[in-house]
Amino acid sequence: MNLLSLSPQAVATLAFYLVVAVTLIGALIAVAARNIFHNVLGLALSLIGVAGLFLYLNSPFVALMEILIYVGAICIAICFAIMLSEPMYLPRPPRKLTKILGGVAGAGLVFAFLALLTRKTTWVPAAQRSTDWSVTTLGHYLLTNYALIFELVSLLLLVAMLGAIVIARGGRGSS
Amino acid sequence: MGACDPNFLSCFLIVALPLLSFAVIMIFTWRRHKLSLAISLTCSTIPLILAWSLFFRLKDAVTMAKPIVTQVNWLVSDAVIVPFGFLLDPVSLLMLAIVATISWLIQVYSIGYMEGDPGFARFYADLSLFGMSMLSLVSASGMLQLFISWELVGLASYLLIGFWYEKFSASEAGKKAFVVTRFGDIGFFMGLVFLTFFLKDINIFGLGIFDINNAALTKKLTEAQVTLCALLIFCGVAGKSAQFPIHVWLPDAMEGPTPVSALLHSATMVAAGIYLITRLFPLFAASATAMSVVLAISTITLLLSSTIGMVAKDIKQVWAYSTVSQLGFMAMGLSAAALGGSTLFAGYYHLTTHAAFKALLFLCAGVFIHHFGTNDFFVMSKDGGRKLAIPMITVTIGALALAGIFPFSGFFSKEAILGQLWHLPNKMWVGLALFGAFLTAYYTFRVIFVMLLPRKDDDPIWKEYYVREEGGHGHGAHDDAHGGGHDEHHGVPWVMSFPLIVLAGFTLVLGFMQAPLEKFLLGESHPHDLNYLLLFLAVGCALGGIGVAWLDWGRSGAKWQGFIRKFPALETFFIQKWYMDHFWRWFLNTFIYGTFSRIFTYNDRRVVDGGVDAVAFSTIGSGRLLSFIQTAFVQLNLLFMVLVLAGVGLYLLMGR
Amino acid sequence: MLVFNQLETYLYLALLLFAIGLYGVLARRSLIAILISVELILNAASLNFMAFNRFLAPHPAVGQVITLFIMAVAAAEAAIALSIIVAVYRKLKSINIEHATELRG
Repeated sequence: MNLLSLSPQAVATLAFYLVVAVTLIGALIAVAARNIFHNVLGLALSLIGVAGLFLYLNSPFVALMEILIYVGAICIAICFAIMLSEPMYLPRPPRKLTKILGGVAGAGLVFAFLALLTRKTTWVPAAQRSTDWSVTTLGHYLLTNYALIFELVSLLLLVAMLGAIVIARGGRGSS
Repeated sequence: MGACDPNFLSCFLIVALPLLSFAVIMIFTWRRHKLSLAISLTCSTIPLILAWSLFFRLKDAVTMAKPIVTQVNWLVSDAVIVPFGFLLDPVSLLMLAIVATISWLIQVYSIGYMEGDPGFARFYADLSLFGMSMLSLVSASGMLQLFISWELVGLASYLLIGFWYEKFSASEAGKKAFVVTRFGDIGFFMGLVFLTFFLKDINIFGLGIFDINNAALTKKLTEAQVTLCALLIFCGVAGKSAQFPIHVWLPDAMEGPTPVSALLHSATMVAAGIYLITRLFPLFAASATAMSVVLAISTITLLLSSTIGMVAKDIKQVWAYSTVSQLGFMAMGLSAAALGGSTLFAGYYHLTTHAAFKALLFLCAGVFIHHFGTNDFFVMSKDGGRKLAIPMITVTIGALALAGIFPFSGFFSKEAILGQLWHLPNKMWVGLALFGAFLTAYYTFRVIFVMLLPRKDDDPIWKEYYVREEGGHGHGAHDDAHGGGHDEHHGVPWVMSFPLIVLAGFTLVLGFMQAPLEKFLLGESHPHDLNYLLLFLAVGCALGGIGVAWLDWGRSGAKWQGFIRKFPALETFFIQKWYMDHFWRWFLNTFIYGTFSRIFTYNDRRVVDGGVDAVAFSTIGSGRLLSFIQTAFVQLNLLFMVLVLAGVGLYLLMGR
Repeated sequence: MLVFNQLETYLYLALLLFAIGLYGVLARRSLIAILISVELILNAASLNFMAFNRFLAPHPAVGQVITLFIMAVAAAEAAIALSIIVAVYRKLKSINIEHATELRG
């Protein structure tokens, strides 16, 4: 098939399907693979896919942040946690069918519920919609109207940092 | 309007530097006294310069009707914007300068007074906090900012009154000051809430002083609404400015170091209340009912405290009660002006002159206390108080000003207030005020005559008065540090005498500043039709008071017995401080502890505790029953939770 | 109507991500794997917000700010959770959630 003969819309649609596939396959690897490292890699893949979806949603800045924070920071942190905890060479306990069935049942039921909810709701756009998608505006808003959120986030991160240090150290005097 | 506005910057520095000094001293340098002193002094000198330069730069540019408001957004969360800024008009500019000056002088003075105290650095940190909160209160543009500073003033005074916290009475006094003023603050805050409630279009964060006054001036509020709000806000004023019946904390506040008392009584804590009235003067003036209540309460305060001042033996107590009475005087002046449709000038003027001479009186008292290690002025007199020339002269100047003698500043400001009262249809008020002025002159000169004209050492009269108990009055632990002061230093250190001289200078000069000040505050100076009758009455009362004091305490054959001795019942009544402390104790015991506490305790024990116990027992019981399904498999629990939630959701959706 | 210009597409996608994540939380035994699944769930929520932001919200900045907020919360959560996992491993010598049974009734 000659790509050049396709219309831009069709290329965009194809790329969209690719991104969706990356997201979902990544997510499946993240939960289904038995090797914990494969899980992390699957998660990273899925997150990159989500970043692509964000691009489709007109938000390149958030997409970049997604890759930077999730793939760049959180996945790496998880890798460190894996290395600090259980050794990988230990035999893994076999899967239990009951558990998998339970998981599938729970997730399936929730999926059914939410899918039904999504279908039955009529989504009404806001009456007036601004079209200003620039990063400048976003930054401006972040430091004016949503400055409190910004401050709260920094406070939260500080507290989390302290909490993480205290918990991981194992309390006073046991270092 | 922005952050780069020079006015904003200088105001911001005025407020921020003392706060910075507080933080730095408390966190880093509290072990190093000299360094802390340097930081604190720097951080009060710069605001001093800035405040005065602001004053001189803007004094022709602003009027009461057209102030400079400079603010920035402090906290923003979508529609809720909390501004932070400054309101510069004649009232706040002058007060800013006064507060900065007096707190600076007191910081200088404390170098000598607090020398060698283990809490030296902490003292300076607290002084900085006190200065910062008062400066920000004075210049606040919004009510929320004002309220925050108001509470900070309370906090700082708590810290400073209870400065020698190892002494039980000091920490108790600190607590008393904090809790009692809190009573009033509840009223204040409710007043603010009601105001925002009535003013619908403004939320409490954006509520500016200007908005309130405009609303009152443009009759956006009904008479009843204004009365309610004004009275509630006056509760706060009464707490801070020690008005009857919640004045009881102020005399106890003498437990703090004397420089603190000076600061507390002249320019910061108690001035805050009166300042608030001047700030919201249009609001108060819009309600005649509220102002009548204020007038009555302040008159009671005036008489109560002057009569108690007549029998006190502790020099600081005398000055404390004189403060209470002068505050009553100011409130009287303001309310009379509001009732008579006049301006806030008289009361505010008395606030400024009082700031100078009351700081002077307390600092002089501090010198004596520091030197003789006692608070009892009879003991100071016998031990040779008059040999300390500078403080003796300056204390006399302060006393003359307090009594209202020409040409000292108190004379002019009292005259202005009496003039306001004179215009009221009911002449009872001016009569009572004159009587108060008489008493003030009397008890002030009782102190002066006793100190200035002591008896010979073998005079039997000392038996009644010379009681040198160790640590008996006030100081306790502090006495030990300072008590042996006789031999160590003979004179008064210059850091302590210098502020006295400056303040005495203010006391002398401020009186003649009446016309320029009036022009500055009101934009125009009213030519005074001198009311000679009133003038003679006022001076007559003051001189009469001094004369009676001379007869009782001054002349060589005086029996050193107040004329009040002839009415033993009254004297006991006054010595017991009108039984106000007893009243509150009784009130607390009967109503709070006796009634409410008992009911609440019963409720707590039977209903709340019983209920909680029942819930707890049933929880334990059902927990025992249900613990067998607690398998410790978190995922199983989660699975059930998810299943049930989704099932219920699905069920509800199916029905639609 | 292109498929990537429809709100429903993104909602169903987010739903799928959510369901996959939920399955992971319910069925995996390793604490780290559960954490990974939780990240998936959080991403599903972000995706939802971004979709609503793209198709419904009055101003484009709102949803993006919330998504950034979610990212920060997720980072904080990951830090805390990982430190808890390390602590649990130190105590139980295992990060299998089925071994953490100290609260058995």
